[in-house]
Amino acid sequence: MQEVFVNMGQIRVLQTSGILTTVGLGSCVGVTLHDPVAKVGAMAHVFLAKSRPERDPNALPGKYADTAIPALISQAIAKGARQERLVAKLAGGANLFANLATNNLSIGAQNIEAVIQQLNLFKIPIIGKDVAGNHGRKMRLFIESGIVVVTTAGQESIEI
Amino acid sequence: MDAKLDFLRELGNIGASHGTTALSKMLHGERLTLVVPEAEMLSFSELGNFIGETEEIVAGVYVRMTGDAEGHMAFILPYPSAVTLANMLTMGSDTELTEIGKSALLEVGNIMITSYINALSALTNLTLYPSVPDIAIDISAAIWQSILVNAEIADQVTLIKTIFTTPNKIELSGRIIFLPTEAGFAKIAEVLGLEEF
Repeated sequence: MQEVFVNMGQIRVLQTSGILTTVGLGSCVGVTLHDPVAKVGAMAHVFLAKSRPERDPNALPGKYADTAIPALISQAIAKGARQERLVAKLAGGANLFANLATNNLSIGAQNIEAVIQQLNLFKIPIIGKDVAGNHGRKMRLFIESGIVVVTTAGQESIEI
Repeated sequence: MDAKLDFLRELGNIGASHGTTALSKMLHGERLTLVVPEAEMLSFSELGNFIGETEEIVAGVYVRMTGDAEGHMAFILPYPSAVTLANMLTMGSDTELTEIGKSALLEVGNIMITSYINALSALTNLTLYPSVPDIAIDISAAIWQSILVNAEIADQVTLIKTIFTTPNKIELSGRIIFLPTEAGFAKIAEVLGLEEF
């Protein structure tokens, strides 16, 4: 089966079958969209919450939550998905180095909040999530079923 | 560009040799060999490939550098080396990292990174402070990615890494990473009269 890896800041879309995988989500957030009827799945690997056009003008749209979610939706639609059928799942947003947090809300937590806010804006329901904590995760979306499997080092995988 | 990378390598050499001397002392004189430091300038998309898709478990000690020049520093060991080093420090014979082993590694990483920062400070006359350290045991990619997120990388990053190994039979290797911010790097180059790259 085709397995496509999604690196930091990237967005990838598959239809019919295959797996979208992102390895090593730390404070980044993995977001998947799935249309169960069209069997279209999309994944983004979000790095930070808010885009910084002055400092980072040529950033990939998938890098920042505020640009990633609109781009993820339109790329899924371009492959045949319908917006009203899309459902979302999230993983990541952890805080591996808690001692170093400079304010109350870790960067991981800010990333989760920004992604949820964007999905709400587009009225896309979040039907599964495995977020926060202090450990890294691997996230895999199976296009045919829409199942997302999240793996944490040294633990059993879970389905969300 | 070459001159800039040479300069960065030299910084890595000076910093990391102080760090590994500190470690060598803690290991009762166990000799450590430094592999020539590598300095790289990577774009954001190259970083994705650099981090890779492997699921190797590593131990990472992370310290933020503040003061006149800012940056991010890490001491990263493959898991088997982390277990070996923890055993050497605690006179143990564990096959997995224990809580005591973890805090020994945290302390060693902290001392190595602080020695590196002190060497940079002596070289540049800049006031540089290490933050409190923290340690994580996790997938290599998750550790790297968390450090890069903390550094809020824009489109390019300067990365100086020095690998050390031991010439003896003990399996021990690791790397010290220095990731100056753009402004931090400019400041160091400026005080050393090297702004003309």
